[in-house]
Amino acid sequence: MPVPEVLESFAGSVNRITLGSTKDTGGSRTSTITVGGARNVVYAGSAEDAGEKPVIAIDIMDVPPEDWPDILIEPYKDVIKNPADWAKKAVNEFGADLICVKFDGIHPDKANKDAAAAVKVTEDVLKAVGVPLILWGCGNNEKDNQIIPKISEAAKGQNCLLGAAEQDNYKSITAVALADGHNLITEAPLDINIGKQVNILVSDMGFPLEKIVTFQDTGALGYGIEYSYSIQERQRLAALAGDKMMAMPAICDVGYEAWRVKEARLADAPGWGNVEDRGPMWEAATAICLLQAGADIIRMRHPRAVAAVKNFINQIWKRVSA
Amino acid sequence: MEQAKKKKYLVNFEPSGLKIEVPKETTLLEAARKAGIYLTSICGGDGYCGKCKVTIDRGQFQSRPTTLLTTDEISKNVVLACQTKILSDMTVTVPASHTLQASQILTDTDAGSKLADKTEGVFKFDPLVRKICLQMSPPTVSDHTADHERLCTAIREQIDAPIMQTGLRVLKALSALLVEADYKVAATIARRGGTAEVLEVEQGCRCKTNFAVAVDLGTTTVVAHLLDLTTGSTIDTEAVYNSQINFGEDYIRRIMYAEENDAFDEMQNRAVSDINNLIATLASRQKIDLHDITAIVCSGNTAMIHFLLNLDPTRIRREPYVASAGSVPPIRAAEIGLRINKRGLLYCLPGVAAYVGSDIVAGVLATRMYTKKTVSLLVDIGTNGEIVLGNSDWLVCASSSAGPAFEGSGVKHGTRAGAGAIEKLSILPDGSVEFKTIGNTHPVGLCGSGLLDTLAELFAAGIIDRTGRFQPKGDKRLTEGDEGQQFQLVPSDSEHQEIVITQPDINNLVRSKAGVFAAIRVLMESTQTRPEDLDAIYLAGGFGNFLNVKQAVTIGMLPDVPIEKIQFVGNTSIAGAKTVLLSRKALDTAEKIAESMTYFDLMSHPGYMDEFIKAGFLPHTDLSLFPSVKNPPTKTL
Repeated sequence: MPVPEVLESFAGSVNRITLGSTKDTGGSRTSTITVGGARNVVYAGSAEDAGEKPVIAIDIMDVPPEDWPDILIEPYKDVIKNPADWAKKAVNEFGADLICVKFDGIHPDKANKDAAAAVKVTEDVLKAVGVPLILWGCGNNEKDNQIIPKISEAAKGQNCLLGAAEQDNYKSITAVALADGHNLITEAPLDINIGKQVNILVSDMGFPLEKIVTFQDTGALGYGIEYSYSIQERQRLAALAGDKMMAMPAICDVGYEAWRVKEARLADAPGWGNVEDRGPMWEAATAICLLQAGADIIRMRHPRAVAAVKNFINQIWKRVSA
Repeated sequence: MEQAKKKKYLVNFEPSGLKIEVPKETTLLEAARKAGIYLTSICGGDGYCGKCKVTIDRGQFQSRPTTLLTTDEISKNVVLACQTKILSDMTVTVPASHTLQASQILTDTDAGSKLADKTEGVFKFDPLVRKICLQMSPPTVSDHTADHERLCTAIREQIDAPIMQTGLRVLKALSALLVEADYKVAATIARRGGTAEVLEVEQGCRCKTNFAVAVDLGTTTVVAHLLDLTTGSTIDTEAVYNSQINFGEDYIRRIMYAEENDAFDEMQNRAVSDINNLIATLASRQKIDLHDITAIVCSGNTAMIHFLLNLDPTRIRREPYVASAGSVPPIRAAEIGLRINKRGLLYCLPGVAAYVGSDIVAGVLATRMYTKKTVSLLVDIGTNGEIVLGNSDWLVCASSSAGPAFEGSGVKHGTRAGAGAIEKLSILPDGSVEFKTIGNTHPVGLCGSGLLDTLAELFAAGIIDRTGRFQPKGDKRLTEGDEGQQFQLVPSDSEHQEIVITQPDINNLVRSKAGVFAAIRVLMESTQTRPEDLDAIYLAGGFGNFLNVKQAVTIGMLPDVPIEKIQFVGNTSIAGAKTVLLSRKALDTAEKIAESMTYFDLMSHPGYMDEFIKAGFLPHTDLSLFPSVKNPPTKTL
């Protein structure tokens, strides 16, 4: 009896999505980023099956962060009050593929910034860097619905990635993303079914599926990463099986989650090793793990972690780029 | 001691005029219970359902503050009966919405009775209890067989009865009776498994007067059909609300109530008196002597049968969810206080598990799905949603805690299928709402079929999105109510109140249908049954007279199969009970069905929650499962 063919091939693939718009397409970005396209699970199949190389988006905050540990502030301390300079540094010195502007400052319980401030940050960052942008709200539905349309408008034509549409608040952001020609992040609380439901809801509004990136919520190493891992894996398998509602590239928020855990933050814990290494290692380990599950865009914070993960990506996807 | 010293007050309930004397600080709900007045109460007196509203006309009382009353209601002395203590003599008006109008409950449906007729053809007419006329030759010197043996021989000449049994009471009276009747008597023979029991021997030829009652003891309604056992025909039907409702609208609450208050006897009394009242009504209307009713066949969920027999139901609600008895042998009906022939028998149909009762076995029997080579699906929507899948070789079943939303409970303007209930509703292309009520009277609320229509039509019209959330579209009928957003289906006029559907109502309905569909999926996946393998889907339950089965597919409650394969079959519990009454073979078959059904416990099933979340979407997260359901209109931006 002949040995059966064990190489698995799949009918479906992950959508390819290009972020950013250059002069040719009416934007002001100097480069674009394309992700997705995988036709197999990570590591498996031929080189072409691996699709586009995953990318790293470095987080910058619209207002100086209040809860970041010193070790994370250190690399950005000279630019932390200026989002434009911060973005520039993240791109030029730390090699960010994209910049993720996180508008925590508009949250009513935080700095409660108004639309004018948010628009200014958007415009400044757009001027400062040429990479594509992710523009992400604060999570307060009311405030997001009020401010994100303004941010979106300020970045009109730049083909940004807007975050995030959720099951109980998707209409406003979907409408503005559609109107201003942006891409859209759909978010679900670690539940693959709800993830799919949000995709269906926004597509019911006429939003094209190929302009969606999914965010299934992220758990850090030791803090639920197995949930994230299995959901990313299920999403990839659903895409490969031909499920159009699950064929989107995925984004993971590693920076925020990894820097929340005490093992990354706590300075006074001699038994745990050097605090300067612990946080970046935690962040890098979380990112690398999720990349293997099938994440396409990773939001990150610490430059050392970014460097380690870039190194990993370049090695794993080397045969494709070669 | 303190209790004994408490002053007693007289409470007068209007408009019924019923009065009751209760100790000071008794709650109004408790007083109503004691007076025998039905007040709707879903939470069983915990003060959160807001259904037990009454108006105080006169008297002192003390009410706990609640957000469930509007300021207008408070100013009119409307209170929640369960949160109000009696501090003086008082007069209370019970709103008409609470009033039980038994004659309005569905006793059966056309579909259901058709089903029963078909089933009757399958089993030989051989009722559980027969009366036969016997003409024996009196003993002589050459034939000195004892009277009892003489009787048995005469019986065996007419019917197949290898094993017979006669009670001492009958034996004692036998000789004198035979002599007096000159050996011409009527014998009542009841089947107990393989044994034929001589229930009674009477003088003369009274064998044309033999009646029995089939009972569907439901959590919400109790339905009784009076049958003539000499012909097999149904003479009359009657129904009442289950009077245990005051102790909670679902049976888990009632078990809890009975446990906390040691009220098992009370529960039994309620069930028994409901059945007795039904039988008395039927008998007096048909001018039948209770003595001539010789048997009762009862089907119902496991908890209801336990309450009726006063078996311990407490472990039904606790892991590992065990019933005291699944199959109960026939007992003397008088033993639990049922008033028919003193020696008449009560047969309870066998159940499968704690959450799949004999009402479902009756459904399998009535739909005859166990006889078919092809696979069919039975979905019985009651307070729980029970699902059976299978054919002549195998049957699997499961119970999903679908909740009573499709029975009209837990829905603001939900109502049971009675007069004035909206049983059909459609939203026309111009957006206006068209409806039909049972009895064509003023609308009082929405019953199961009306709620099903409402959900499907709101979805099809794009008024709610796939998650069931209202879409802000500038429709004036969409307003902010006490419970969040609500949509006005029927505006108020001088004759009736407005009827709305609220966001929590829709969420309840979506959860109900999700529970049902998830259970169907688990059973189908576990048995590798594909939708195209289904030859028939039977939808049973007290939805209303009419049900548009297409709507059940539109909302994703039933698998998307060609519509002609789906049949609304009404109350299959009573249909099955009647079948058993008319054929002892059917009782044997029911026992076999109950034994052969494999129960799937959904709560411990690893895939159930996943399926539940997937099904909590209109029609489903996997749209490819519902190819016939059209996309809702795309919202224009």
